[in-house]
Amino acid sequence: MAANLKNLIKLFFYIQKSNLKTAFLNKSDAFVNVLMMTINNLSFIFMWWIIFQDRNSINGWQFGQMALLFAIGNNAFGFFALCTRGIQLIPELIENGNLDNFLTSPQNSLFLIATSEATFANWGDFVTGFLMFFLSGYVSWHTFGIMLFCSFMGFILMFAIRLLASSLAFFVSDSQRLGDNIFISFLTFASQPASIFTGWYKVIFLTILPAGLLSFVPVNLITNFSWSECLFFILAVLFFFGISLFAYHTGLKRYSSGNRFGVR
Amino acid sequence: MSEIIEVNQLSKKFKIKKNTSSIKNIFKPEYKTITAVDKISFNIKKGERVAFIGPNGAGKSTTIKMLSSILYPTSGSALVKGLVPWDNRQKLAYHIGTVFGQRSQLWYNLPIQDSFALMGKIYNIDEIPFKRRLAKLVKLFEIRDLLTHPTRSLSLGQRMRCEIVASLLHKPQILFLDEPTIGLDVTAKEIIRNLIRKQALEEDTTLLLTSHDTDDMEKVCERVIIINKGKIIFDNSITALRDSYLNKKYIEITTDSGEKIRKEINTDKTSAKQAIDELVQKYHVTDLTIENPPMEEIIKEIYARD
Repeated sequence: MAANLKNLIKLFFYIQKSNLKTAFLNKSDAFVNVLMMTINNLSFIFMWWIIFQDRNSINGWQFGQMALLFAIGNNAFGFFALCTRGIQLIPELIENGNLDNFLTSPQNSLFLIATSEATFANWGDFVTGFLMFFLSGYVSWHTFGIMLFCSFMGFILMFAIRLLASSLAFFVSDSQRLGDNIFISFLTFASQPASIFTGWYKVIFLTILPAGLLSFVPVNLITNFSWSECLFFILAVLFFFGISLFAYHTGLKRYSSGNRFGVR
Repeated sequence: MSEIIEVNQLSKKFKIKKNTSSIKNIFKPEYKTITAVDKISFNIKKGERVAFIGPNGAGKSTTIKMLSSILYPTSGSALVKGLVPWDNRQKLAYHIGTVFGQRSQLWYNLPIQDSFALMGKIYNIDEIPFKRRLAKLVKLFEIRDLLTHPTRSLSLGQRMRCEIVASLLHKPQILFLDEPTIGLDVTAKEIIRNLIRKQALEEDTTLLLTSHDTDDMEKVCERVIIINKGKIIFDNSITALRDSYLNKKYIEITTDSGEKIRKEINTDKTSAKQAIDELVQKYHVTDLTIENPPMEEIIKEIYARD
């Protein structure tokens, strides 16, 4: 078990090295893409900065909390896009019968699919994420540690929601767009100030579409840490992670392959 | 020789939605069941080279995908190297190699040598044995000049040679080849067939090759299993098949006036040389081809004799 994990970690870094090598085939292109991604991300926060210039707070939320939300969201997406973006391809792999190569491999098929694609431009998400943290006004070693932890847990949650959305393709044909829409909705709701969601909306965003686990829960942990909320956060993320793995493995039994021409 | 593949009453059915365009079907979908593989049984011994032949949609690829752990069967059982394939995916992968003519296991943008290195890591092969193994396969499959090229820049024939090398890096005891010559020209097909055969003989690899090209089985394999509509209709040596069904050839000539003439010969009675001589004497031949009877015709004949 430990040896397997060690091999998997070694393989992960080797695949990341190969992905970097591919990205660096055109170095200037790669760095321009990182810069453009950073500018693109900053344009969203700029909009909120203008809104907060006009009014001091939205239902108690101020710019600092919004910056923290973007710090966690961007860092989580950076992890997702650089380490496991391949799971977005699952519907396409199912439609084209291209899961075959992954299923005949001695490594975990989900690990290989997840790491099969990475976009170098998403290093720009980390640039934005750290910049936002330092602009939030909640800077200390303590909050920095919680921010890193929440970003990583946010990444696990993102992975779970995208895997659930992608695994729909095992059960519903032509569901690529449906899966994309579910994931985009999750990200959209996760990038709104938490204070606008109250009552039943809050319940929905912590259960059916758990965008709250990527927005108000981690921001609360940084601004007002409590062990009970932290435990709830960990258990909720692990719950969605477990459900997503179950959906993938159940779906895999329904996979019917195919014979469309193509390359990986 | 011991049995390395044992298949017993293996079946695979696919459920397909009917009339997908109707609104009623959205709320209450109707399904039809298609039997792709219908209770087939066979055994393969270690080192045997077996062709799994049949027309399109016969169930060849579905069978190979069940044996290589890609698909779950509907019923029946199978053991490959003593393992139930669909329950032991990762374990089985170390013993089998797979080549799918219709898709690639190489990374599209990476140079071939980097794809091989990545495969080596995936199969946990140590550096020195990997280098030794790669050097041997590179020499055998004559791909030294291709190593620095990315997959996207290779021709189909070159890519197929690299695909086979990739599937042999971990020295599998069983190699599943699903239509390895599909889409290749005559010369490339010949090269691939020779290389597969040479490698299998050299390393005593068990081969299970699917194709609808009868030349693939004649050049590479010693035993043939013919499948049609999911059922096995013939399982014997290539020699037995040749004696019974492959003694027929078609010679097609084009004359200088553009007319095409097709002649059927029985090679037991008339040699190809004799038939060609006769045609050349009679017509002014500008082009000539010799063909085996198509798979569909062999199957028809097997049914007729039964």
